[in-house]
Amino acid sequence: MNTGGAVMKRPDHNTYREWLNLDVDGELPRSQRDELDRHLAGCAECREERDDLMALDTLLQTSSIPVRPDFKDAVLTSLPTTGWENRHPKTWAFPAAVFLLLAGIAAALFGSSHLEAAGSGASALVAMADMLGSTVQAGAGLLAATWKGLGLAFAEVIASPMSLGVLAVLVISLNLLFFSLLRRRRSAPAGAVERNGRR
Amino acid sequence: MTRGAEQPTDEDLVAAVLGGDRERFGDLVDRYQGRLVNYLFRLLRNVDDAHDLAQEVLVKVYQVLDRYDPQYKFSTWLFRVAQNAAIDQIRRRRLKLVSLRQDDDEGEGRDWDLPSPERGPYGEMRNRERADAIQEAIDALPWEYRELILLRHQAELPYEEIAQLKQMPLGTVKNKLFRGRQMLKEKLQDFLAD
Repeated sequence: MNTGGAVMKRPDHNTYREWLNLDVDGELPRSQRDELDRHLAGCAECREERDDLMALDTLLQTSSIPVRPDFKDAVLTSLPTTGWENRHPKTWAFPAAVFLLLAGIAAALFGSSHLEAAGSGASALVAMADMLGSTVQAGAGLLAATWKGLGLAFAEVIASPMSLGVLAVLVISLNLLFFSLLRRRRSAPAGAVERNGRR
Repeated sequence: MTRGAEQPTDEDLVAAVLGGDRERFGDLVDRYQGRLVNYLFRLLRNVDDAHDLAQEVLVKVYQVLDRYDPQYKFSTWLFRVAQNAAIDQIRRRRLKLVSLRQDDDEGEGRDWDLPSPERGPYGEMRNRERADAIQEAIDALPWEYRELILLRHQAELPYEEIAQLKQMPLGTVKNKLFRGRQMLKEKLQDFLAD
């Protein structure tokens, strides 16, 4: 298609028709538009072509379908939490604030003995390390106690046939429950998300 | 896309959403829902399918919004995703691009409610006739012209964005739009004088 930019001679009739298409779309450069206007003033065929093109544009515009009123809400409510949202600093702002608050409390509670030896920032870190160490020790102790307790309970259960029977029934029932839940989830429709007010 | 000096551009809105302001995505939906639904409607020829797919496209775009490259227009990206989704759906459903009348005979039926500029029984009939004729004329276009005509008239993309989306030279886009329009004009000649 020749838009006539570098052509010095007068454009032919077909070129003007091509320009008319560009003009309807608002894509014709100003200089060519002025030349087209001059041509249109003396060419009835091109004026008719322009009217047809404008009528076609209007026809296609007016045949648009209306968007459902609930469309936007349906889109916004179906937006999932995405990977990039999880990676966003805003997502970590609250946990980070809680962590810093705990660090501050730990520094206030346990850091006083280290204040003379180091600055307040370092003392907070030392206090946190102390607290972390204590937490690990407490957790390890709790785990050991739990395993010991479980071991004792299990020994008691297997010692009595009655208790063993009750345990077996309990395990089988739990398995059946999990199995039925799994089946129900699989049979649910894949596109259960509400779309544009329809399911 | 800039709409007046005070309006944020699409790229501003995307940046705001990525910055944690989820509500700004609603502004993008407002901007594009009409064009997107109508573009998909012309490809799929069913109002429900067009709405459903438009929703899927917007959700998909949201999910990968962090991959958006601001050196391209948001609209180019959005309609590229939409076009691919529509082509996938057409393939999946083996939707044959036959005339609406044939569809009605086969029981699939057209399903839309166009705004009615003409009222009264005759006006309604004329509107229906016009809607059928437009869809038939669009369906009759060879695919390479149809997709450009829809990107121009329904998606309202400028030539440069269409060229970018279709990875075609600008001159080819102009040429195909010109030829596509000539074909449409011939088919719809009876309605152009209305």
